[in-house]
Amino acid sequence: MTGNIQTDDDPISWLDQYGDALYRFARARVRDAFAAEDLVQETLLAAYRSRDGFFRQSSMKTWLTGIMKHKIVDYYRKLTPEQGEDNLDDFTYSLDNLFDTREKWKIKPGEWGGDPQNVFEGKELMATIHDCLAGMPEKMALAFTLREKEGASTGEISELLQTGKDNCWVILYRARMLLRRCLEINWFGRKK
Amino acid sequence: MRHWMFSCKKITGMISESMDRKLPLSRRMGIRFHLMMCALCRRYRQQLLFIRTLLRSDKEAEDLSGQALSDDARKRIEEKLAGQVPKDRHP
Repeated sequence: MTGNIQTDDDPISWLDQYGDALYRFARARVRDAFAAEDLVQETLLAAYRSRDGFFRQSSMKTWLTGIMKHKIVDYYRKLTPEQGEDNLDDFTYSLDNLFDTREKWKIKPGEWGGDPQNVFEGKELMATIHDCLAGMPEKMALAFTLREKEGASTGEISELLQTGKDNCWVILYRARMLLRRCLEINWFGRKK
Repeated sequence: MRHWMFSCKKITGMISESMDRKLPLSRRMGIRFHLMMCALCRRYRQQLLFIRTLLRSDKEAEDLSGQALSDDARKRIEEKLAGQVPKDRHP
């Protein structure tokens, strides 16, 4: 505790300064808003308890984010198995259905309209994407969102999901296939 | 089918993987070769890239609008933290 400036060991000032950023970080990784708020709280409490471990070499924000990453890993570890792997396998069937026995397209990708800019009927399309994601197993949706939206590495994702990178690529593949198909049916199909 | 020719199903997996890591040259060539001949897989690839672009721009918009903790949550967390501090400082 020696040499710490007052604001540096006052968790309430951390909340003021970094609370929103931490909350955004959590929301990008956890579907449930309340869970994200809890994660902010747990992170700040844990940070306060281990404040002696904070070294000035890293920024406060980086340090807090590092703690939050561990909290998020714990959060996913505690989710019941049904929300995890088991569920992911149910989707193999629907993907296999897209191809014939010679592995050629059976349900062919449709034309989504020539100019992508035109499709930017922004909010509605995003809402459809979110609906599609909501229909996926949470871990699959998480992996997909982290990768495609947040630009997270498969390294970070495999850590969060407690799985190997190989499996991560498989999960991302299934997620992309499902989302693509879901959009085709619920957005591009509807427009015709 | 020769060993360097891949099925559509296989190619869709490889295209997806190529969006997450750099594939070995032989597989990149395999994708390229397949895409030259297969309009459906070309379309598939464009659609995946389109979805990514869409989500990345949504992320940018969100970052600008600045999602924040609700006042309720902030108050709750603050109380919790305040409960910790004095206990530790004056045991």
